[in-house]
Amino acid sequence: MSGNSLVLPIVLWGRMAPTHCISSLLVMDDFSTIITGCHDGQICLWDMTPDLEICPRAMLFGHTASITCLSKASACSDKQYIVSASEINYSAVMSPDFLVSLSCPLCLSFVVLQFYQFPIGTQREGRLLCNGHYPEILVVDATSLEVLYSLVSKISPDWISSMSIIRSHRTQEDTVVAVSVTGILKVWIITAEVSRMQDLDPVFEEESKPIYCHGCQSISFCTFTQSSLLVVCSKYWRVFDAGDYSLLCSVPSDNDQAWTGGEFIAADKVIIWTEDGCSYIYKLPASCLPASEHFRSEVGKTEEGSVPPLIYRIADHSDKQLLICPPVTRFFFGRREPFYKLLIQGDSAGRLSLWNIPDISQLQVSSTISLQEAFDKLTPVSAGIIDQLSVLPGKDEPIKVTASVYIPSQGRLVCGREDGSIILVPATQTAIVQLLQGEHMLRRGWPPHRTLRGHRNKVTCVLYPYQISPRYDQRSLVSGGVDFSVIVWDIFTGEMKHIFCVHGGEITQLIVPPENCSTRVQHCICSVASDHSVGLLSLRERKCIMLASRHLFPIQVIKWRPADDYLVVGCSDGSVYVWQMDTGESCVTSGVSLRIHLVQHLFSSSLLLGNLPKYSHNALVVQAMKTNLTDPDMHVLFFDVEAVIIQLLTEEAQRPNPTLVSPETLQKSQAGADKGGSFLANKIFKQVKETMKETIKEHLLDEDEEEEEEMRRREEKSKSLSLLEYNLTMDTAKLFMSCLHAWGLNEQLDGICLERLGMLRPHCPISFGLISRGGHMSLMLPTFKESLLRQLSLATGRKLTLSDIVGKGTYGVSRAVTTQHLMSVISLANTLMGMTNATFVGEHMKKAPARPPRPGGTPETPRRTVATPPQPSNPALQAQIKQGWSQLAAMHCVMLPDLLGLDKFRPPLLEMLARRWQDRCLEVREAAQALLLAELRRIGQSGRKETIDMWAPYLPQYVDTVSSRKYTALFCSQTSFFSHTLKHADWEHAHVKSIMVVF
Amino acid sequence: YYLFYPRQHHCQTEEEFNWLLKEEVHAVLKQLQDVLKEASRRFTMPTPGLESQLKQENFILGSSTMDQVKGVLTLQGEALTQADINLKVTKSSQVLHFQFREDKQWKLQQIQDARNHVNQALQLLNSRDESYHFKTGAEVNKLMDAVMLQLTRARNRLTTPASMTLPELATSGLMKMFTPPMPGDVMVNFYINLSKLCLTVYQLHVLPPNTTKNFKPTGSSVLHNPGAMFELNNNRFEVSHVHKVECVVPWLSDTLVFFTISLQLCQQLKDKISVFSSFWKYRPF
Repeated sequence: MSGNSLVLPIVLWGRMAPTHCISSLLVMDDFSTIITGCHDGQICLWDMTPDLEICPRAMLFGHTASITCLSKASACSDKQYIVSASEINYSAVMSPDFLVSLSCPLCLSFVVLQFYQFPIGTQREGRLLCNGHYPEILVVDATSLEVLYSLVSKISPDWISSMSIIRSHRTQEDTVVAVSVTGILKVWIITAEVSRMQDLDPVFEEESKPIYCHGCQSISFCTFTQSSLLVVCSKYWRVFDAGDYSLLCSVPSDNDQAWTGGEFIAADKVIIWTEDGCSYIYKLPASCLPASEHFRSEVGKTEEGSVPPLIYRIADHSDKQLLICPPVTRFFFGRREPFYKLLIQGDSAGRLSLWNIPDISQLQVSSTISLQEAFDKLTPVSAGIIDQLSVLPGKDEPIKVTASVYIPSQGRLVCGREDGSIILVPATQTAIVQLLQGEHMLRRGWPPHRTLRGHRNKVTCVLYPYQISPRYDQRSLVSGGVDFSVIVWDIFTGEMKHIFCVHGGEITQLIVPPENCSTRVQHCICSVASDHSVGLLSLRERKCIMLASRHLFPIQVIKWRPADDYLVVGCSDGSVYVWQMDTGESCVTSGVSLRIHLVQHLFSSSLLLGNLPKYSHNALVVQAMKTNLTDPDMHVLFFDVEAVIIQLLTEEAQRPNPTLVSPETLQKSQAGADKGGSFLANKIFKQVKETMKETIKEHLLDEDEEEEEEMRRREEKSKSLSLLEYNLTMDTAKLFMSCLHAWGLNEQLDGICLERLGMLRPHCPISFGLISRGGHMSLMLPTFKESLLRQLSLATGRKLTLSDIVGKGTYGVSRAVTTQHLMSVISLANTLMGMTNATFVGEHMKKAPARPPRPGGTPETPRRTVATPPQPSNPALQAQIKQGWSQLAAMHCVMLPDLLGLDKFRPPLLEMLARRWQDRCLEVREAAQALLLAELRRIGQSGRKETIDMWAPYLPQYVDTVSSRKYTALFCSQTSFFSHTLKHADWEHAHVKSIMVVF
Repeated sequence: YYLFYPRQHHCQTEEEFNWLLKEEVHAVLKQLQDVLKEASRRFTMPTPGLESQLKQENFILGSSTMDQVKGVLTLQGEALTQADINLKVTKSSQVLHFQFREDKQWKLQQIQDARNHVNQALQLLNSRDESYHFKTGAEVNKLMDAVMLQLTRARNRLTTPASMTLPELATSGLMKMFTPPMPGDVMVNFYINLSKLCLTVYQLHVLPPNTTKNFKPTGSSVLHNPGAMFELNNNRFEVSHVHKVECVVPWLSDTLVFFTISLQLCQQLKDKISVFSSFWKYRPF
C-alpha cells in the first residue's frame, strides 16, 4: 500500500481519548519512552521527561487482538526496535520512532517474550526467548522473528509459567531458569555452541527440580548479589538460592491478596505487587542475604517463616474501583543516568502511574496521567470531525459520532450520532473548520449540512450501498441503531423511505451481499444484530426476506455461497450455521471438527485485515476508526498525493486555455453555433482532450469516460440537495497544503501563503500519521504537541504558545514522516505552480470548473463551457501566484534544515527518496529527486561516505572491496549530481538486493 | 422499543441492573466454577515425582468395518504409557506386533493443553468470589471474555488435532518408541479428536526413483489419504493404506460437555448485561 502510493493520514481524534485498557508495559532503556499495549490491540507511545512527567505521543495500529507482551528487540540505543506479541498468532517488530515495520505471522502464540543477547562466539546477537501455551521455550531471532531452536524438558514437560535469564559473573554462563505450571524448576544452560545451532535440534534441560510453586507469576534473579532468585506465586513469594535452588524463605500473602509479580530492588529488599495494584517493599530476612552469617540458615526447614518486615506499602490511587480488569505492574531499572528505579503501573482506564523508588523510604506517586486526562488538558481541545455542529447551546460536550461513512464521489461525510441523528456534511469543509483558522470560524452553522432524524437512540452503523455496488439506488443510505431499527433514507431529499423493525437487539453490522447472488438477494442489505440474528432486508421490496435468529453466540462473520444460495454465519464460539437465503431455512449445521476448520478458514482472511483503511483513487478518503466498540468514532483523513495531483491536472486540462480560446472566439462560436460553430467547439475540445490524454498517460491512470459521465449525472442530481456547491479538488488541495506547510519559519512567505495563495493557518499542530506495509499505521495523538511545546520552550528558553509552534512539529517527529511530508508538499506546490489561477481564494473555489464538451454530446454542452468563462486573469497576478508556489517549494526543499535547526529537524530518509526516483507519478518523482539531491548536498562529504559504508554490505557480490572503494571515491568526489537508487530497500533489516549508483 | 423506558422507569432499571451485578453475576459465577471444577477434576494434575501413582486406563481401539489394525493403549493422566499395536499387512497377511519400549511414554499434548486452559479459566473465576463487588457491566464482560477465551482454547485443543506433514510424522520421536522398531514402511500417529483417542497407521511403499508418476508432496493434514506422497532422505514414498481406529475416552466427552455448558453460561451472562448496555455505557465508566 505505502509502497506504491504516497498516502498521508491526518487524524481528528475528538475530545474522547480512545479506550486503552493496558495489558502490557515496557520502558525503553533510555527512560525517555514508555510503551503500552492494550486489550484492543493498539500500542501507545508515551514521552517521559527526566523529571518523570509523561505525555502520550502516538498510537500504533497493527494488531487486532490483545497485546500479550512487549519487549525490546535491539540492544543499541540509536535503532530502538520493539517486538509486540498478540493473542492471535501474530507478532510484529516495530520501532517506536513512529514507524511500524515488519510483521510476521507465527505458528505459535507468544505469551511472554524476553530480549536477550546471546553469545555467538565473541559477538552477541539479539534473541527473544518466548514461552506460551506450549511446553517449550522458543529461541527466536530478534530481527527476523524466525524460530531458531527450542529449549525442551525431558522430565515432566509442561507449560512454562515464567522464566528468567541469568548471566552469572561467577560461572560466566548464561542460564535460563523457568518454572512450569506444575511447579517444577527447570534450568537450561546456554553455551556458545548452543547458540550457534541453526537447525531445530532441541536443547534439553540441565536440571529439573520440583519447587512446589503452583501458579507461579514471576521469577527474577537478584542482580545485586547474584546468588538468589525470587519466585512470586499468587499466594506466596519465595526466595531461592541461585546456586542449588534450595528454599531460603517463603512468605504467604495475607487476606486474600493475589500477588502478581515482584523484583529485587536492592540486595536486601524486594518489591512485590498484587493483582489489585498495591505494591509492598519487604526487607529480606538474614537467611536470604549472602552477606549475612545467617545465610542459608533456614534451608531444609519445612515451616513457612515469619513475615519479614514490610518497609513500605504503595497504595494505589483512589479511583481504582472504576477499573474493569486488574492493572499491569512492572519494575524497571535505569541502566544509565539518572539510575531511576521505576515502578510503573498501567490500568484499564488508560492510566499510567509511576513511582520512583528511592533508597530511602519516602515515597509518593511520582507521576500519573491517563489518556483522557491528557486529552482534557489540551487547549484548544482535540477536534472531532463535526464538533462545531455537535456542541449544543448550553452544553460543553459535543454529541458523539457513533458511526460514519464517507462518500468519496460526493466528497460528503455521513455521521450517525449518539442522539439518533445523522449529519451529512462536505468532508473537506468540515475538516477545514476543525483544523484551520479563517473567516469560516465566524459563520454559524457552517459548513452547510443536512440532518436526518429518525432513530430514537444511538446510530450504530451507516452504509451507502451504491458505493459498494452500482446495482443499488444511488439515493439510498441505510442506517442501523440501538433502537433495533434499520432505516432507509433518500440521501438527496433527506426523506425517510422505510423503517425495518425485524431484529430484537442493537444493529451491529450492515453488509452488502456479493454480486453473484440471486436477483432478489442482490437488492438486499444484510443486517446483523446483537440478539445474534441476521436479516436480509430488501430495499426494493421494502421487506425482510429472511431472518435467521437461532444462533446462541454473537455473530462474528458473514460469508456467502451465492452458487448454492447459502448464507454462512460464523459465531464467536466457533460454530457455523448455514442458511438458505431464499427460504430462510437452516439447512446445514456442520459437525464440530468441520466447523472449526471452516471458521478458522473464514476468519483467517477477515481477522488480520481488521480496521485497515481501503483506498481507491480518491484524493481524500475519510475513514472512521475506533479502538473499542464502545468508543465514539475518530476520523482519519487519508490524502493520496498522487490522486490530488492527477485531479488537479485533470481539472487544469479541462479548463479552456485563455490564450488559445479568447473570449472573442468563444463569442463567435456561440454566434455561429447553429452552423459551422460546432466545428470550433470540437476543435477546442480536441485540444483539451489531447492535453488531458497526455497528462493521464503520464500518470498511468486512465479515467473511465463512463465514470465521468456518471459523475456528472450524480452532480446534477445532487443539486437538489441544499448543500453549497464547492470545488472539491481545490478544497482538498487547500486543506492539505495548509496542513503541510511549515508555518512560522518565514513570515514573508506565510503572508504570501495566506493572502495570495489562499492557504489557511492551522489552529495548532496537526496530528499526522504514517502508514507502513501491511496497512499498519501509527497516528500522533493530539497530546504530542504538549511534549513538543515543552521541548521547544526549553530549547528556546521562552514560554511558547501552541500557535507559535504550528508547523514546527511535524518535521521533528520521525525521518519517515519528514520524507513523506516534504515529498508531498514539494510535488503539490510544483503541480500548482504549473496551473492557471492556482490560488485558493476567489470565485472559482465556489463552483467546480466547467466540464469539457463531449463528442456527440447534447447541443447544450458547448454552451455550458461558455456559460462559465475562465476568470479574466491578470497576468501579473498569475505570475505572483506562481512565484508564491515556487518559494514554498524552495523553502521545503532546501531551507528547512537551516530554518528549523537540526535539533528540531529530522532529515528525510535517503532510501525512501531513492525508492521514489522512478515513481510513476512525474511530480512525485521530481520532488523526490530534488529532495534527494538537496539532502545529499546537506549531509556533505562525510555524510555521503557514511551512507555508502552503511549500504555497502548490501551491494551485490560482484562489487568487491576495490570497486566499492572506487564507488565511494566517486561518490564523494562529486558534490551535487549523485544519488542512488536502492531497490527493495525497506528497512535496515530487509534484504537489499542491489544498490545502483546512478551517475 | 421496550428498551427505552421513560424516566420513571429509569430507577427501576437501575435497581434491576444492581441486582444483576450483585446477585445474579455471582450466582452464575458459582455455577460456572462448579462446572469447571468438574471438568478440571477429569484431568488429573500430576504431582511432581508422583506421576506413577495416577490411575491407568486401558482403551481398545478398533473399527467395526475393518480388522487390519487393533490397538490397546494405556492412558495415564495425559501420557500414553503402554501401547500394543497389531497390524495385519494386506499383501502378506502377516501380522506385525509392536509395543512401547519399557522406558518410553508418549505425552498427548492436546490433553495437557486443554487441562492447563481449564485451570487458567478457573483461576480467573477464583479471583472473583462472592466477596467481590462488581461495579460495572464492563468489568463482568471483561472477565467473561477472558474466561471464554480460555474455554474456547481448551475445547479447540481437543477438537482440532495438530495437522502434520508426513515427513514431520516420520521424524517425530513417536517412531522411535516401539519395540520391535517400526519398519520403514509403517508409520503411526496418536491424537485426540473430540472425545476420541485415535490411532492412525500408514502403510507406505517406496516410489522407484525413475517413476513416471507425478510426484507431488502433500502438505500437512491430520489424516493423510492413500496416494499421499512425501520425500524423506532422498527416498520418495507413497501412502498405500491408511487405517484409522479410535476409542471414546468417556471423561473427555464429559469435559467437552462441560466446556459447552460453561461457554453458554458465560454468553448468557454477557447477553443479560448487554440488555442494560445503553444504561451502563453512559455511566461514568
